[in-house]
Amino acid sequence: MAYQLYRNTTLGNSLQESLDELIQTQQITPQLALQVLLQFDKAINTALANRVRNRVNFKGSLNTYRFCDNVWTFVLNDVEFREVTDLVKVDKVKIVACDGKRASYTCVMILLFDQLLDTPHL
Amino acid sequence: MASSANSNPVPKLYRSVIEDVINEVRELFLDEGVDEQVLMELKTLWENKLMQSKAVEGFHTEEQAALQAAAQQQAQQSQQVTQQTQSQQVLLPQQQQAPQQQVIVQDPKILQHMSATGMSAAATAATLALPTGVSPYQQLITSQGNVSQNVYLKTADGQILQVVRAANGAQYIIQPQQQMVLQQQVLPQMQPGGVQAPVIQQVLTPLQGGLPQQTGVIIQPQQIVLTGNKVQQNTQVMQMAGQAGQMQQVQQVQQVQQAQGGAAQGAPQQQQQPQAQGGAAPGAPQQQQAQQMTQPQPPMMLQVDGAGDTSSDEDEEEEEEEYDEDEDEDKDKDGGEDGQVEEEPLNSEDDVSDEEDQELFDTENVVVCQYDKIHRSKNKWKFHLKDGIMNLNGRDYVFSKAVGDAEW
Repeated sequence: MAYQLYRNTTLGNSLQESLDELIQTQQITPQLALQVLLQFDKAINTALANRVRNRVNFKGSLNTYRFCDNVWTFVLNDVEFREVTDLVKVDKVKIVACDGKRASYTCVMILLFDQLLDTPHL
Repeated sequence: MASSANSNPVPKLYRSVIEDVINEVRELFLDEGVDEQVLMELKTLWENKLMQSKAVEGFHTEEQAALQAAAQQQAQQSQQVTQQTQSQQVLLPQQQQAPQQQVIVQDPKILQHMSATGMSAAATAATLALPTGVSPYQQLITSQGNVSQNVYLKTADGQILQVVRAANGAQYIIQPQQQMVLQQQVLPQMQPGGVQAPVIQQVLTPLQGGLPQQTGVIIQPQQIVLTGNKVQQNTQVMQMAGQAGQMQQVQQVQQVQQAQGGAAQGAPQQQQQPQAQGGAAPGAPQQQQAQQMTQPQPPMMLQVDGAGDTSSDEDEEEEEEEYDEDEDEDKDKDGGEDGQVEEEPLNSEDDVSDEEDQELFDTENVVVCQYDKIHRSKNKWKFHLKDGIMNLNGRDYVFSKAVGDAEW
């Protein structure tokens, strides 16, 4: 199972909104929408891992940090993101990072529970 | 392919993800017995939202260009035909409408917003691409029956306004060039989204000398379209105008039009408009003068903000009242728990909420990624991240690896 992390991005949110519209007009069922989102998770994870090949550096000051459920959440201030091509400066940025190791403990446990209870993980 | 030296990988990546997802779920759709058409609609909605968000550079530009070219051709060909053969939204007897109507698309944002209501990509592109010509509002309107859409036409001279909205009860306001009688009806309507859209049709008695133009205000539940750029909800305005007479109406419309450049679109305007209505009548004389001076421009729209704005005071008062109420509530809560009743308003000053003046964009800059290694030494942190999507200053970026330093 792939991270649902990327649902809160422009791409993911626009997909969710579109699905919500179709649900409202009853053109699809919520269950089907869920399946689409799961498929999206797989697709975006794969695409990022395989189709993107660039490197970014950043520098700033750390305002807050949090580590909970194997998820790091940082808030940085006055950050400069530097790529080979260009530079982007922001006053505040929030970074949410899941564990990069493929078989994350949390994901494995969720899958096991799904099999036990025979319920798809929402 | 890439015209620029630095090809942005984001659009291609997004396109490939969309294609992958759509192809993968096609089977799921068929299993559930859902028509392929719905799948295509999902794809269209998805792509439109991405386009609207402007977070991706050069997304679908080629498609847009092709669609616009096609739409322009269609628009030019069908302009005259569509006008007279409109079936869904015929506001006024078409006899009164001047055959020459030009549509000026002044604010692409409005159009984009319009497309959010569910217009097809082609229709959206057509709308966006409308040059100074008659807009085939028919096309736009007929896209979805239960979705309200706003189409406005504005002649180069600013003479004619047409607002067509396909809602539960079609409403629109058409402004004839001169000496045209518009019948106004106030029809409160509920939008699919739950937004009430009172539509007011203005009745303009034939102008006799005096005003060269008659303006109407079109109210749409979702958006307010002013002859020109802005979309406003002017139910009250309409009523006021009707009461005040044509002169005031025209003035208001013209002012609104003028104020388009300066005023913000969307909700703020909507809020102001009802209030502005109250101040519209007293300000009518002033508006007249302003209108006369600005007649060269198509002064069709009411100006309810900018120079003619009289609602700011009312807004502020309301806001202050609400704020006071909140304070009272908080005080009551605290009074129940501790004796620190007075500290609540004091503490509220501790918030560091100075973000508005820093960024033009409303977006919270977010990076969603995975971490390889997070290292800390005293207060020096090092981040090793991978596979991330960033939204910075409203734009989307991606990376396969990111390395960062920060001091806490």
